[in-house]
Amino acid sequence: MNSELHPGEAADALAEIRKRQQQVIDRAMVPAWYWWVVGALMVVLAVGVDTKTHLALGITIPVFVVGMLAATGIAVRSQVLYAKVHDTLLDGTAVIAILGFVALIVGCSLGIAFGLRAAGVSYPATIGCGVGGLVMGLGGPVLNRQLRRIMLGNRAGIK
Amino acid sequence: MTVARFDELIHAPTRLSIVSLLAASEWAEFQFIRDSVGLSDSALSKQLGTLEQAGYVEIGRGFVGKRPRTSARLTTVGRAAFEQHVAALQEMVARSGSTILPR
Repeated sequence: MNSELHPGEAADALAEIRKRQQQVIDRAMVPAWYWWVVGALMVVLAVGVDTKTHLALGITIPVFVVGMLAATGIAVRSQVLYAKVHDTLLDGTAVIAILGFVALIVGCSLGIAFGLRAAGVSYPATIGCGVGGLVMGLGGPVLNRQLRRIMLGNRAGIK
Repeated sequence: MTVARFDELIHAPTRLSIVSLLAASEWAEFQFIRDSVGLSDSALSKQLGTLEQAGYVEIGRGFVGKRPRTSARLTTVGRAAFEQHVAALQEMVARSGSTILPR
């Protein structure tokens, strides 16, 4: 142990450690626009499903697939090119938060779509996915903040 | 429970910044480390070389398309040394009666 180091210097070093780790975490966060793009692509796909024509499906399915690949590619670009967040920062709580968010979106979209379909409403999938997309656009940044908080809490020098 | 052990090699200011970045990463790209820490290419190469010699860091060289890419990652030994160093710092702060709060 270094006995010459002042406690204040040790505290400064810990602050530096936290700051640098936060840089990696912040760089890895999914941008807010991503959630709105995915939500919009869900609606595009649902329009194709509701329209039930080969032409509509032939257009909306490729738009959905290409759009998802492009948006995801851009959103995770930092993770691929610059730095990959260490696995230990995302613990079980983070996995539960992600799975819960996915369940909320799927439950919302399918629940509303099937409910409307049973009630004989037109364009049930579009409306269901519209609501699901809205929840995704509004909830995505909330999930982001939650994941960031979890990762910041799991940094070295915190516990 | 991590054993507290102050590490002179890690504690040097620029190396502390580099190792802290790497501790939060599976790997980090040379440019990202350089820009985040604010070092020149040669200064970062020198520091990474020192850490590599100590067995704390592994340097990887590859290509993304046609562009050469250099990345660095903490080895198991480096990660353990970093965790012990953090524990030593925390112990010093705790002994002084201060508290460490996440920011």
